[in-house]
Order: sequence, then structure tokens, then C-alpha cells
Amino acid sequence: MSTASPVRARRSARGGMSRNAGSDVKAAYLFIAPAVIGFLVFVGYPLIRSFYLALTKYNGLTDPVFVGLGNFRRLFTTDPAFWPALRATGYLVLLYVPLSLFLGLALAMFCNQRFAGVRVVRTLAYLPVVLPAVATITLWKFILDPQVGLLNTILDRLGLPTSLWLQSPAMSMPSVVLVMLWGVGGTMIIFLAALQSVPNELYEAARVDGAGPWSVFFRITMPMISPIMLLQVILQTTAALQTFNQPKILTNGGPGFSTKVLMLSIYENGFPTLGRIPQLGYASAQVWVLFIIIIAVIALTAKFSSLWTYSDNTPD
Amino acid sequence: MTTLPTDASLAAPAQAARPAKKKPRLIGTTSWYVVALFICAVMVVPLLWMITIGLKSRTAVFDIPPKLLPHEWTWSNFIEGPKAIHFPRLLLNSFVITGLSVIGGVMTAMMAGYALARLRFPGRKVWFYLFVGSMLLPGVVGLIPLFQLYKSIGWYDTWLPLIVPAFLGGNPLFIFLARQYFLAIPYSIDEAAKIDGAGHLRIFVSVMLPLTRPAWLTMAILAFQASWNDYLNPLVYLYSSGKWPLSVGMASFISPFAGKTPDWSYYMATNLLYMLPPLIIFFAAQRYFIQGLGALGSTTQK
Repeated sequence: MSTASPVRARRSARGGMSRNAGSDVKAAYLFIAPAVIGFLVFVGYPLIRSFYLALTKYNGLTDPVFVGLGNFRRLFTTDPAFWPALRATGYLVLLYVPLSLFLGLALAMFCNQRFAGVRVVRTLAYLPVVLPAVATITLWKFILDPQVGLLNTILDRLGLPTSLWLQSPAMSMPSVVLVMLWGVGGTMIIFLAALQSVPNELYEAARVDGAGPWSVFFRITMPMISPIMLLQVILQTTAALQTFNQPKILTNGGPGFSTKVLMLSIYENGFPTLGRIPQLGYASAQVWVLFIIIIAVIALTAKFSSLWTYSDNTPD
Repeated sequence: MTTLPTDASLAAPAQAARPAKKKPRLIGTTSWYVVALFICAVMVVPLLWMITIGLKSRTAVFDIPPKLLPHEWTWSNFIEGPKAIHFPRLLLNSFVITGLSVIGGVMTAMMAGYALARLRFPGRKVWFYLFVGSMLLPGVVGLIPLFQLYKSIGWYDTWLPLIVPAFLGGNPLFIFLARQYFLAIPYSIDEAAKIDGAGHLRIFVSVMLPLTRPAWLTMAILAFQASWNDYLNPLVYLYSSGKWPLSVGMASFISPFAGKTPDWSYYMATNLLYMLPPLIIFFAAQRYFIQGLGALGSTTQK
């Protein structure tokens, strides 16, 4: 199933296609209509509406009251929970993204070797990714229990120091990241596909030239997979910035503010429990802070990507 | 696709004569297997432990130090646990919500992919870039406006917010994937169908859908998991516990209500049942699955 030849076939068939162009256009609009409507309703509208709401005071019951940049002023100056939320989010990203990329690539390289049983390792490494997040996160919540949890039991038997994990303000975020890293198989599978698409001749040539494993890695593997690495940096960072399930289920933001990431703070302001009044305008302002951070990350990563990604300059 | 030559047989004949195993000898074979075993253990031991807790009596869970195997095997947890959260009801809810989202998501993505790849119409490129671009848009931006929208049209506390978006091109990644697959099909095929007098709908249903089975099966599996595993959306949109899918029900299982400690053995037994459908699908379609995602990796690279 190669993709190159059909594209060429299409070009040559274009003349034939244009003969009944009229029916093509009608059919095309019918085929694409659901997706277009969906785009307008679920992407276009919320984008504009949430920007407007961010500039208002709005509780979801009475009409929004325009307050300009008041929400943002309150966020950055008077809200005692906002900076801790930014800090927690930054900590999570800085801890999770590099570890996920490093472990994912290491695992992919390991699973890219040929040895008996490699398929089993590959499958098992990917297994946690397919399991429901709620199921695995709650399982880990119990594994990390300081008294009766599996992790402390194992550490104790091995004579290693144990920890309070989620219940300790210092260890709570690393514990959340640990749980997230159990799903590193998702990163692995993408890197594995990238590694398998590196042409074998390059490795052959390197071996003939007598290159060692490290120089093969840094001069062939890394440059060849750098576009995927770039994509992974962007996707993992934007996903990590929006982490919700793990802190919500594991710690609900605690202890203290140690794991109260921005998404959790948005959720609590926008969809409060126990009869508190929703602050939808205020939560929207937080959404926009997060959104701008995400755009900035994507823009910066893309801007500096030329420094470390390899391109063979084929216009594709 | 990842049908790459994984062995030397497809390479140059001179190479086939060489020994098949030529992995870099960074570390010896034994340490290689130690690492492999370690990886497998990290992935599997938590799950095995979950099963043993599901088989322990309710008090044995709190033994200090914990025992790895149950003292008495309490199979009744698999009956009593599910009862405690009205499991059959939540299971049915999950199946309906997930089933409809899968159908909707795959159908609209295939239709849009077909139009984008094989039909010429003004705005084709624009829509393609808009769809691809929306992949990067963080979902959180829609959270509050959409919540308000659904509330104002009476969809709050119904399944509609979880299902209808799927029927309206809910996943731009699927549209992208569908388009990639449709581009790879030779054009002579629909030319031939057209000469036989088939319209676009006929070509789509009778010619294209059979040819693109790997594509939509992969999407169906991914859509199943996304919907089955989704927690935030049902949490936000569903208020009545009778309408919850399993994800929200399972999470509520262990939140300590009124200072009551959660019944971990009930919980873990039920958790296993909650995991079963995605597990079964994963093992049934496992090879296929990793291939499909591999294809994803290599298409995004281009």
C-alpha cells in the first residue's frame, strides 16, 4: 500500500474527474457538511464565545457583565490560588514532558531490536494506554497508599526508603507524574513507528564506516526522527498543560495547592460543587491564559525547531 | 503502513547470507532480558495486584504489611462490588454512549475524508487546513461556552453532548486519517464504477468502504476507547447518577462519602470488569492496532 503512485494516478485522472465536476461539487458539500457544521459549532463558536466570556463577569444565570480585563487583573494580582496553579502546571510539564520523551524513546529503541519476545514487551508496554484512565488512575491511587500500597511494600522489602507519595506536599506532584508515565507506551509507539521508517541503508553504511553505537544514535537516528520528536514535544506539552484526570482523581489538587493544576482550578471555578456560584467569566479568563501559553509553546517550539530538526529539503 | 522489511530476506541478497541477529551488543543477552522482564513487570504487576485485591476479603485489604496473595479467595466481590454502584445500569449507559459515538465519529470522518481526498470542490484546501489546524486547538477552550450552549438548549444532564458532536466530525484526527487512506486508493477504481453508472453515494458505500476497512476499523477502535475512557465530559454534563457512564461511576466509587473508607476489594473487582471491554478489543485487534498507529506515525511524518 504505497502512497506515491496513487497520487500520480490522480493527477493523470484529473481530466476525467473534471468532466462531471458539477455533480462532484454537490456531492462533496453533502459529504463534508456534517464535519463543516461541527467545525463551526464546536470549534468556531466556542473560540469566539469563550474570548468574550473571559472579558465578563458571568455566573451562568444572569446576563454576562462586561468587565474588560478585570478578570485577568484579579487573576494576576489578588487571586491567591492562581500563581500556585501556574506553578503546579509548570512543574508538571517540566517533570513529565522530558521524562516521557526520554523513556518513550528509550523504550522504543529497546522494542525496535530483534530478540525473542520483543512483541510481548511491545504489547505489554502499550497495554496501560488502552485501559480507561479512571481505572488505572484509581488503581495507582491504591498502589501509592503509604500504609497498604504495593509500592511502599516493595520498597520496604528491598530495604529502600518509602514515601508518603500523594499525601506528602513534596512528593505529590512527582507521584502524579509517575502515574502519568505508566502510559509512556503511547509515546513509545509513535517513536517506534519513526524508528522503523529510518532507511536501513543508513545503518548499513554507518556500520561499514565503523561507527560506534553512540555516533550512530546521534548522527543517524536522532536526525532522522527529529520531525517526530518535534511533533511529540508539541503534543506532549500541550497535553500535559491540560492534565486533568490524574490530579482530579489522585489528589483533587492537594495536599495544599501542590497538585492544583490550572485545569483543576478552571474546573472548580466553572463547575463548582456544594452550591457555590459558578464564575464562568473568571474561569474563561483562566482558559485563555492556558490557551495563550499553549499557543506560545507551539510557536516557540516550531520557531526553534530548525536548530535541532533535520530536514532533507524536499518540498512535500 | 509499517509493512517494512523486518528481516534480512527483503534486503540485498549478499546480506541474506549474514547471520540474522545483528543487534548492537551494547549489553549482553542476559542483561537484555533482565531489562525486558523489568519492563513487563512494571506494566503487568499493578494489574495482577488489582486482581488479587479484587479477590481479597474487605478487611484483608488493610493488612499491614499487605500480603501479595489473598488469604481467602473472595469471589463474591465480583457480585457484590458491581451491585454497590448499579454496575449493569452504568455498563448499559457506557455501551449506548460509546456505541453511538463510534458510529457517528467514524461515519462523518469517512465522509469528510472522501470528499477531501477524491472530490474537487471550491474550498477543499481551506477546509482541510481548518480541520488539521483544529487538532492543535486545546479542548479546554470549548469547555465553558459549549456547556452554556448545551444548557440553554436543554441538553444538560442528557447524553446528547456526548454523542451529537461525534456525528458532526468530532475528531479531526479521524478526518485526517480517512483522507490519507482515500488518497492511497487508485483513481481508476472509481472511474470504472462511474462508467458503470454509480453515483458518489454508491461509490462511497460499495467501493470505498470495503477498500478502506483497515482505516475505519482503526478509527472505530480509537473512538471506542476515547469514549469509553472519557471522564471529564460526562463529569461535566451529567448530573444524575442514573445516566452516568462507567468512568464517572467508577471514580465516584472511591471518593470518600461521609468519611466512609472506600471498599477497595469491591472496587478492584468492579474495576476489572470496567477494563474488560477495552482489554478484549485490544488483544483481539492487537497486531492490527499497533500497525494502525504505526501508520499514523508514518503519515504524520510526511
